[in-house]
Amino acid sequence: MHDVTAAQRIASTVLHAAHERQARRVEQISIALGAMTMIDPDQLTFWLEQVLRGTVAEGAEIEIEQLPLIVRCTRCDSESEVAVPDDPIYHLMPFAPACPACGCEEIEIVGGDACVVRSMRITEASDDE
Amino acid sequence: MTDANAPDQGRDIIIDVDLSKRTSELADRNLDLLDAHGVTAIDVLGSVGSGKTTLIKGLVRHLKDRYSIAVIAGDITTRIDADRIEEEGVPVLQIQTGGACHLDGEIVRRALERLDLDSIDLLIIENVGNLICPAAFPIGTHTRLLLLSVTEGPYMAVKHPVMVRQADVAVINKADLADAMEVDVAKLSDDVRSVHPGIKVVTTAARFDEGIDDLIEALGLSGDCCCAGGCCDA
Repeated sequence: MHDVTAAQRIASTVLHAAHERQARRVEQISIALGAMTMIDPDQLTFWLEQVLRGTVAEGAEIEIEQLPLIVRCTRCDSESEVAVPDDPIYHLMPFAPACPACGCEEIEIVGGDACVVRSMRITEASDDE
Repeated sequence: MTDANAPDQGRDIIIDVDLSKRTSELADRNLDLLDAHGVTAIDVLGSVGSGKTTLIKGLVRHLKDRYSIAVIAGDITTRIDADRIEEEGVPVLQIQTGGACHLDGEIVRRALERLDLDSIDLLIIENVGNLICPAAFPIGTHTRLLLLSVTEGPYMAVKHPVMVRQADVAVINKADLADAMEVDVAKLSDDVRSVHPGIKVVTTAARFDEGIDDLIEALGLSGDCCCAGGCCDA
């Protein structure tokens, strides 16, 4: 997934929820980011800050928890955590996960491929609004 | 005013929205719409210059007597691809994504609204030339057709494992140029199968109409019936 697209979708999810709650300000946004999304947390934070400018969530503290990649091997049936290399050139050399137990690439990704907007902290609408 | 309507104050609000799930929900909705109209859809994925448009022209030529076909062509700009495919005599809708390097479920949904789905039974969608980003954006098709060409070099399959894993059928195109490019087509096919065991791999030289029949068979579109709906079945 793309960092900019992810940032736009997070922003629209947060702003929609903020509008529903009549929030005056969004203080904090909490995001879970799977390692296999290949999104760099710093880039995501940068783009989120840009797309949230001029909104009730401008300047919100952005908290990103990175979740590990978990694979289940379809050959040996083991479930394990796989380290995703922290490599800035991943666009040129994409990472192919393999089962750490038997080495085969016949795996299912069972965790770490999602980007979840978990929660936000808001302040109330003022009486004059 | 009830408590439920009272504004929250300095409070944590649970949202729990999985963006990847929303992406696939949009795709699933497109698939449901296509199914409701009896339309089979194919997403054609490949790098810039891999031969997607030429391959689609070949598919259309071979299939247009058996199917009522429409094509959606996705590009950042221009309608060069749409004009080329229209030469085959089928309706083509050009999507210009502006800057986006992939189609997504939302863009395709808007395109589907502009097509008369009741008048077609096969929809071919040419994705934007790119093998990285479209992997994260399913658009809601029955088949994802991956196109690799020998002119892209020998490492395309191993370099794009995420996309290769998602494809149902892979095509090794421009096989006529394999010797000049010093690319071993058999090795490239093996690479595709090692990244995605069980995937169907077909070799083509789309410019010369070679291998198109094999591809049609791999796509499950072959058969004696003269219509896609199977109404001619005994």
